[in-house]
Amino acid sequence: MVSTNQPDTARPARRSLLHTNPSVLWFMGLLGLFTLGVSILSEGMGIGVLSTSMVKILGMTLCLCLIAICMDVVWGYCGILSLGHFAFFGLGGYAIGMWLMYARTEIVIRDSLAGATIPPTELEVTDAVTAQIFGVVGSSELPLIWSFAGSLPIQLAMVVLVPGLLALVFGWLAFRSRVTGVYLSILTQAMTLALSLYLFQNDTGLRGNNGLSGLQNIPGALHVPQSVLSVWFFWASAFALGAGYLLFAWVVSGKFGSVIKAIRDNETRVRFLGYNVEGYKLFVFTLTAVVSGIAGALYYPQAGIINPAEIAPIASIYLAVWVAIGGRGRLYGAVIGAATVSLMSSWLTGGGAPNINFGSYRFLWTDWWLVVLGLGFVAVTLFFPKGIGGLFDYLVRKKP
Amino acid sequence: MLRRLRRVPLCACLIFLGLFVAPIAAPTAAHAQSTSDTPLQDVLQTVQAQVASPSRGTVPDVLSALLERDAPGTVEFLRAWQDRGIVERPEDGLFFVAHETGGMVELIDIDTGAVVEQVSTRDVNQIRPNAGVRREINAALVQFELMNPDPARRIAALESATRSPDPEQIPALELALDAETDARIAARMERLLDLLNARFTTDTATRVDAIDGLRGDISTEARRVLNQLLQTRSDFAQTLPDDANIARIRTPGQDMDLHAAYRVLSDAGLFPPRPGRNAIRDALRANVVDGAVGGIPVHQLDTDEARRTAYRALQDAGTVPPLVTQADMEAAVAQYVFFDAYLEPDATVTDAASTALDSTRTRIGAFQALSLSLDALSLASIFFLAAIGLAITFGVMRVINMAHGEFIMMGAYTGYVVQTLIPDYTVSLVVALPLAFGVTFAAGVAMERLVIRHLYTRPLETLLATFGISIALQQLAKNIFGTQARPLTAPDWLAGSLALNDIVSISTLRVGIFFMALAFLLLLLFILNRTRLGLEVRAVTQNPGMAASMGINPDRINMLTFGLGSGIAGVAGVAIGMYAQVTSEMGANYIVQSFMTVVVGGVGSVFGTLAGAGLIGALQKGIEWFNPTNTLAAQTYMVLFIILFIQFRPKGIVALKGRAAGD
Repeated sequence: MVSTNQPDTARPARRSLLHTNPSVLWFMGLLGLFTLGVSILSEGMGIGVLSTSMVKILGMTLCLCLIAICMDVVWGYCGILSLGHFAFFGLGGYAIGMWLMYARTEIVIRDSLAGATIPPTELEVTDAVTAQIFGVVGSSELPLIWSFAGSLPIQLAMVVLVPGLLALVFGWLAFRSRVTGVYLSILTQAMTLALSLYLFQNDTGLRGNNGLSGLQNIPGALHVPQSVLSVWFFWASAFALGAGYLLFAWVVSGKFGSVIKAIRDNETRVRFLGYNVEGYKLFVFTLTAVVSGIAGALYYPQAGIINPAEIAPIASIYLAVWVAIGGRGRLYGAVIGAATVSLMSSWLTGGGAPNINFGSYRFLWTDWWLVVLGLGFVAVTLFFPKGIGGLFDYLVRKKP
Repeated sequence: MLRRLRRVPLCACLIFLGLFVAPIAAPTAAHAQSTSDTPLQDVLQTVQAQVASPSRGTVPDVLSALLERDAPGTVEFLRAWQDRGIVERPEDGLFFVAHETGGMVELIDIDTGAVVEQVSTRDVNQIRPNAGVRREINAALVQFELMNPDPARRIAALESATRSPDPEQIPALELALDAETDARIAARMERLLDLLNARFTTDTATRVDAIDGLRGDISTEARRVLNQLLQTRSDFAQTLPDDANIARIRTPGQDMDLHAAYRVLSDAGLFPPRPGRNAIRDALRANVVDGAVGGIPVHQLDTDEARRTAYRALQDAGTVPPLVTQADMEAAVAQYVFFDAYLEPDATVTDAASTALDSTRTRIGAFQALSLSLDALSLASIFFLAAIGLAITFGVMRVINMAHGEFIMMGAYTGYVVQTLIPDYTVSLVVALPLAFGVTFAAGVAMERLVIRHLYTRPLETLLATFGISIALQQLAKNIFGTQARPLTAPDWLAGSLALNDIVSISTLRVGIFFMALAFLLLLLFILNRTRLGLEVRAVTQNPGMAASMGINPDRINMLTFGLGSGIAGVAGVAIGMYAQVTSEMGANYIVQSFMTVVVGGVGSVFGTLAGAGLIGALQKGIEWFNPTNTLAAQTYMVLFIILFIQFRPKGIVALKGRAAGD
């Protein structure tokens, strides 16, 4: 690479991103069509075939697809089985949730105080908002971390900075001491556990296990009906997913992508070749954490509520399950896995699927779905390591 | 002083009693003499009127009459009298024990216990002593019990007296102490006497003596009594009063909030109250004139500064009470001295009490540390039991078994099922332990054969596959046993607790779990170091290829190892199920902790797991000690500590070295 007499072979003609990744165009097209279709069918903007809650579920699914892409990049491409990305997702949700809850409560309080003979002071407003938000955990003081909760730009920055910084510090500590493989997985799981336990406490300033609620009401758009808001958020989620896909498709292609794939396959050899393995891993880990935070910030306003149970280690393991079922090492695989499994989960556990009668025993999907999922997951791991995405290989191979 | 009192001859004591506490003199005699033959009914008839309509003043007469003759059945009579179980037959004035049966009363002869007749409730007078009388009777009863020849009854009486301390018990106790021959009971009596004297006696010397007797006593009662003596009240005065027993003087602005000090004064009506933000706002609201207050338009009153200016304007006009400034408050507070005074006026008593309390502090600290270490040890043994199976599979096979927690759950449910079949808890436990091992051993072997065997080259994927099995097993358990917790009851001999004193106590079950963990440790060490299987396991751990070429079948070893690890998880499940509850999610609660135990301890070493469990148990209890109300915080900090710990010792406490390390 340093010096060669044959520039033609050493430097192949530079090909465009889309050319090296034909799936990007396909994906963008399909996502665009899907977005258009949902908008037309939606209650708020179109003919009303899809209910508002359905649009929300689809929008949330897009956010889950985005975090699944992050997981795929960090695990499928870089070989770090992180069991902590849902923690970053949740932190993003908490960061935006603080603003949503604070700003909306402030509007409500100001409205109720507007009729008073004497206008309220800032302190009175803050106190009233605090009492409203933290009365449930028996506290009357605004926690320090809520100092900027009233400011949208700062909280938006937090969506990116908090998960990013946590990932940076944690990743630096972990990669620096060469924690790899299952050890790293357990360590990330421990981090997630610590975070969720921390958030479960009432006195840490995030309302303990009550979590943040009422997030579906957007301050500044309180007059907009939920049916319209749901479509707006759907668009935002679709845009974020498209942008994320493009970003990561670009990241994993080219030289950078080759290096992280090489790290996945043989970390020691890459290190001996002179690459700063820790730097690459840290970059990938932090970047995916940031994007996960953004996905979370889009997800929770649609879900309406966030609580520490969302961050529990099990959620991150499910994330790994989605990616594995969809197919690791290909971005669209992650999207397929996340969309299929999460939609099927909510369909089957929500009682939407018909139950099957086996003579005397009635097969209830709500009871058996997790058993089927668990065993199906074992089967996928054993027999189809490439996941659903692997099916595409057969399609592509048919062409000459 | 009490020791001395015990040496006083019995007769002298009797004289003393005859003078001061006549009603209770006789039992002492009763202890020595044989009981008289006078029937109780005859004795009662000598004080007929006092028994029939008792009052506080007349009770001692009855008691003295009863004690003087000491008829058999006196204690039973007193108890029935106190419980309103005695009736008087109006025709002849005789007393009977009443036994009510559906509107009718069976009259039972006091002496013989025979049913005399059955009458309507209206034909007899029930004797109803009031609360004061009943208390007197009770005191007498306590004393009778304290004199009972049966030591167990005496101890029971002492315990009941300790629970409801009463100054009237003092003379009774002193008497009983003199007659007491059992040194241990005497010591307990002395202690109770000290407690009562410290609290109720008026004589300072006696109290100080009693308080000194409580030195180094770490029981909760003793500490409660001493703390009660040291109760304080906050007060203020212009000059420090001479008669008050001052505990400490408070300086406003330093160890007392200035606002709080001023509020004390204003509450006492000495100074005008300081209007707070709300008071200012309310005053302004009440004085709005033409959309302005004190010349400031209302819409500008949205800062504290503007409001205060407006308030000053009102104050100048004399319509509102003055705004109290910082300087005002300081000036007001400076005129007074604030202090805490003991409720107990006698300084000698409070000094003695605080010395006595100080002397217990070190011992209490030591015992608390001991108690904490026991807790930590017990927690560590639970972690060890939960983690050791995982350590074996992880260490030997480098396979993370996420379904390990579900094996724990499986063992616990096995115990539960056995218990529903075998009603005797001890027998069912004896059956459940090997059965749980068998069930989970089989499940482990099946899992290894069917799934894990195919994934040895892909360790990260075993993690995922076993996770799939884990969620399937959890849901299966939910489908079979339901979501509610199932009880797994420990047998009686494991249900109690061992108490060293009021501070150090540990439940027998935890002791049992500790010994079980110890037994497993020894068993595993034996298997790994002294048997053919252990030799082969160690060989496969170190170098599977070389082991295979030496004629060891690594497949078989892997299978057995996995079965062994799972089987131990099953047995641990029975123990954990007795200690916590059996739910389908119980395994998930232990899995992360178990992983951390293994990782902190160091993979592939039994002693490593032991060290890891010890460290994590001690750490969790240690952090809880700093903040006992918040176990969540303790867990959070523990996990953070572990993350940091891994930074410095990535291979755990006991790191394998050389070729055994594998990498």
